Amino acid sequence: MPTTRLIANTKKYWLTCGVLALALSPCIAEAGLGQPESAVQADALQFKGSIKATEHAGYRVQEIQLPSGTLVREFVGADGIVFAVAWNGPTVPNLRQTLGQYFDKFVAAAQAKHGDHHHLQIQQSDLVVQAAGHMRAFSGRAYLPQAVPAGVSIGDLR
Amino acid sequence: MARFMRAASRARRFCLCAALCASVLSCGGGDSGLSPSGSSGSSGSSGSSPPTGANVVGVVVDAGPTSTSPDINTLFTTVTVCVPGSTTNCQTIDHIQVDTMSYGLRILAPVLTISLPVQPASNGSSLVECTAFADGYSWGPVALADVQVSGETASSVPVQVIGDPNFTSVPADCSGVGQAEDTVAAFGANGILGVGVFAQDCGSGCVSVVDNQVYYSCTSGSVQCQPTAVRSLAGEVANPISYFTADNNGVIIQLPSVAAAGAATVSGYMIFGIDTETNNKSGSQSVLTVSSSGSDAGDFTTVFNGQNLTTSFLDTGSNGFFFNDTDITQCTDSGFTDFYCPASTQSFTATLQGDNGVSVSESFSVGNTESIAQDDAAFGSLAGTFPGPGSSTTFDWGLPFYFGRTVYTAIQGSVTSVGTGPYVAF
Repeated sequence: MPTTRLIANTKKYWLTCGVLALALSPCIAEAGLGQPESAVQADALQFKGSIKATEHAGYRVQEIQLPSGTLVREFVGADGIVFAVAWNGPTVPNLRQTLGQYFDKFVAAAQAKHGDHHHLQIQQSDLVVQAAGHMRAFSGRAYLPQAVPAGVSIGDLR
Repeated sequence: MARFMRAASRARRFCLCAALCASVLSCGGGDSGLSPSGSSGSSGSSGSSPPTGANVVGVVVDAGPTSTSPDINTLFTTVTVCVPGSTTNCQTIDHIQVDTMSYGLRILAPVLTISLPVQPASNGSSLVECTAFADGYSWGPVALADVQVSGETASSVPVQVIGDPNFTSVPADCSGVGQAEDTVAAFGANGILGVGVFAQDCGSGCVSVVDNQVYYSCTSGSVQCQPTAVRSLAGEVANPISYFTADNNGVIIQLPSVAAAGAATVSGYMIFGIDTETNNKSGSQSVLTVSSSGSDAGDFTTVFNGQNLTTSFLDTGSNGFFFNDTDITQCTDSGFTDFYCPASTQSFTATLQGDNGVSVSESFSVGNTESIAQDDAAFGSLAGTFPGPGSSTTFDWGLPFYFGRTVYTAIQGSVTSVGTGPYVAF
């Protein structure tokens, strides 16, 4: 997989990346929270999404636009690791893809809750997931509390 | 929510469940058990004579269909579904949740005793839907049903059958939403009736986009389902109200006020149509138009604590008031940390403002969640934090807002004597 930093949505680049990613399919399984920034590329590919990056003080945001219109933002720290993901739009994205190794833990925690269908908060020492919304308009975030860089507000993870 | 209530009253709930299950399994167009005149256990009065007519159905807040139901502030009604064109191949199902922030009827397959015809996708295989909620997903085929609610009938409405054993292969993009909610226990109801401001559940995006994350075409017996665009809006799961031959422009929900201490049951009414009959006239209520599309579809603005919360909504499917105010004490009990627990009930005021500029100031109360009595199914001052990025733009006015009120919901494009939907009025 290319490890170059992403700058723009370049179709040819992604075509190449797609072929490579398919050839190296284990990379796809390693996508998401807690994984290196290069995993974002696998996520975009899996989502059939376009991607753009923006720089912030202490972190970078890789934003993937899904065909459904939903935006997925992956937050990458200075260490190159994805420490948070956020989403908003008409659909809920594939969180198995964006939460990666933390997905099963998230589902187990969700099953233990019995709230209504429009809110979900999972608060554990190593994983926080906050999701809400209604049909046609969902939003949420998931982050690794210990990996959020100093000075970054949780409210900025959106 | 309400884990302490479940644990403490498991035996009582089991009896209730057994009785309800028996009623669910009874087939045919018999007594719904929720006819307005048969309502009982109401904790209060709406202050006027009860509405009557073929467009009126009873609604109830109670403990739900199972011991694992969400238990508190969940509004239910009873619907009858029939195989299209049949008057005998029908089933009456109680404990269908009433939700004003979703669109369409969805029934849990385990309670369905009749066989509804599954609809074809554009490629001829079966059309199957992934319904996302904030807390999980419900997977199952789109089928046609004649839907009867009280005296209203909607013919050949696309509905979803959740958890159909003939469609067990869930695409990764659907199961990736989170936990599966395809059993009555996991869902907390025998089904859900989305009667909000839209006529279809997804809208134009699912007609124009193949990878819409909602609709899939599945070949029977195959392990593979493919994303698909729906042929037209009419192919999507639909708000059954819009299929009624009359009284199809919206719905009125009327609930009595609830004592501050809470109530074990609350009974009220759902009245179909606005300004179509003598019992559903618009009055002097404030009409707030809501957004018709985009990331705030169905939403209006709430001004609270000096913030403009532009993605706010009225929602019978939310069991409390959900908004963020760091000055209110949150609960410490591990099951309730998302909820508020002030030492004594606090009162607040907020302004609800429609896209049309109409604004109304309303007061509401925030009580102590940990003080809710074990047998309460309704509590008017339940409130908690709104989770995630939406918290900076959202005030979610859940079911407690409806207690002691008459709330109108007009479907997009529908005309009433006081305006054109989508709007909410109260």
